[in-house]
Amino acid sequence: MNPSRFESLDAALASLPRDVRPGRELWPDIERAIERGSDGASARSPQVLREPQAQWPMALAASVLLASLVGALCWSVARERTTAELLAHGTRSGGAAVGASSVPVNFQLPQDAEYVAARAALERTFNERLELLAPATRERVRADLATIRKANADIGAALAQDPASPLLWQLMRNTWQQEINLYSSVAQTTQSMLTRSSRS
Amino acid sequence: MGEEFEAIYRAHVDQVYGLCLRMTGQSALAEDCTQECFIAAWRALPTFAGRSRMSTWLHRIAVNTVLTLRRRRPGDALREAGVLDEAVLQVDGGAEASGTLDVEAALARLPQGARDVLVLVGIYGHSHEESAAMLGIAAGTSKAQLHRARRLMAQQLGIAMEAA
Repeated sequence: MNPSRFESLDAALASLPRDVRPGRELWPDIERAIERGSDGASARSPQVLREPQAQWPMALAASVLLASLVGALCWSVARERTTAELLAHGTRSGGAAVGASSVPVNFQLPQDAEYVAARAALERTFNERLELLAPATRERVRADLATIRKANADIGAALAQDPASPLLWQLMRNTWQQEINLYSSVAQTTQSMLTRSSRS
Repeated sequence: MGEEFEAIYRAHVDQVYGLCLRMTGQSALAEDCTQECFIAAWRALPTFAGRSRMSTWLHRIAVNTVLTLRRRRPGDALREAGVLDEAVLQVDGGAEASGTLDVEAALARLPQGARDVLVLVGIYGHSHEESAAMLGIAAGTSKAQLHRARRLMAQQLGIAMEAA
C-alpha cells in the first residue's frame, strides 16, 4: 500500500467536500411533483413512481421461474419423441385443429400490427399441429402454456401496481417470447413430421 | 412559498446530494434520493418547527429516503461489491484531487453500517445521537461503527492507527 499523503484520518476526511453538485438539474422534476401535489393529484415523486410500491408476491416470482423453465423442459421431452410415434398419432387424429384452441388466449400483448399478425399465424399453426403430438406430449405442452399464461397474468397484475417498472416489463416481454418459442417449437417439430410423411 | 422553497433547495441541494451520493454510491440513485428528499421536505415543511437547523432536518429526511430505497432494493450488489459509479470518484477537482479520490474510494469500500456512520459523523459533523436517530440505531452502535470505520479507513489509506 502506498503511504498516505494525509497525516491523519481526520485530515483525510476533512479533504472531502461536503457539497457535491448533482450531474443534472433536479429542481424541475421536484417542482412538477410539488405542483401535482398542490393540485390534489398524486404528489409522488418520479423516483417513487419508478420504484415498486409493494413487494411482488412470492407467487409471481414462482410463476416467472416456472415459466422460464417451461420451454427447455417441454421441448427436451417433445424432441425426444420419435418422428414415427408422432406421425402415427397424427395419422390417427387426422390433424384436426382442436386442443389448445379450446384454451382462451388471455395474453397482454404488444399492439404492433406485424407482431399481432405473426403471432396470430403462429397460434393458428400451433393449434392445428398440437393434435399431431402424442397425448402425453400434448398435455405437457398445454400445461406449459398454462404456466406461461399464469406468469403473464401475475406479471400483468404486478404491472398494474407498478407500471413503470423496467424489470416487470422485461419479465412480461420474456413471457411473450416464451409463448412464441413454444408455438414455434410445436410448428418446427411437427413440420419435419409432415415433410417426411409427404415424401413417403 | 414555491420561490422560498426553491431558495431552500438551492442552498442545500449540493450537501444533500453529497450525502446521498456517499450513502448510495451511485449518482442516479443519489439524484433520485435528493429529489425525493426535497419533495418530502416540501410536504413536511409546515411541521418544521425550527428546533434543529434546516440542514440537519434535511439530512434526516435524506437519510430516511436512502434507507427506504435500500429496503426497496435489498442486496445492492454493486454497492456492496464496491463497484462505484464514476461520479463518486469525481467529487473533487482541486489540487488534492488524487488524494481525495483515494479517500472517496476507501470510504466507498467500507461496510454499509460503518460507512453510514462515518458519512454522517465524520464528514457531515453530526453527533452520535443525531446519527443514531437518523439511522435507527443506538448511540453506542453509532460509536462502535465509527471506530470500525476509522480503523478500516486508516488501513486502506496507510495511515497509522495512532494518527487515525
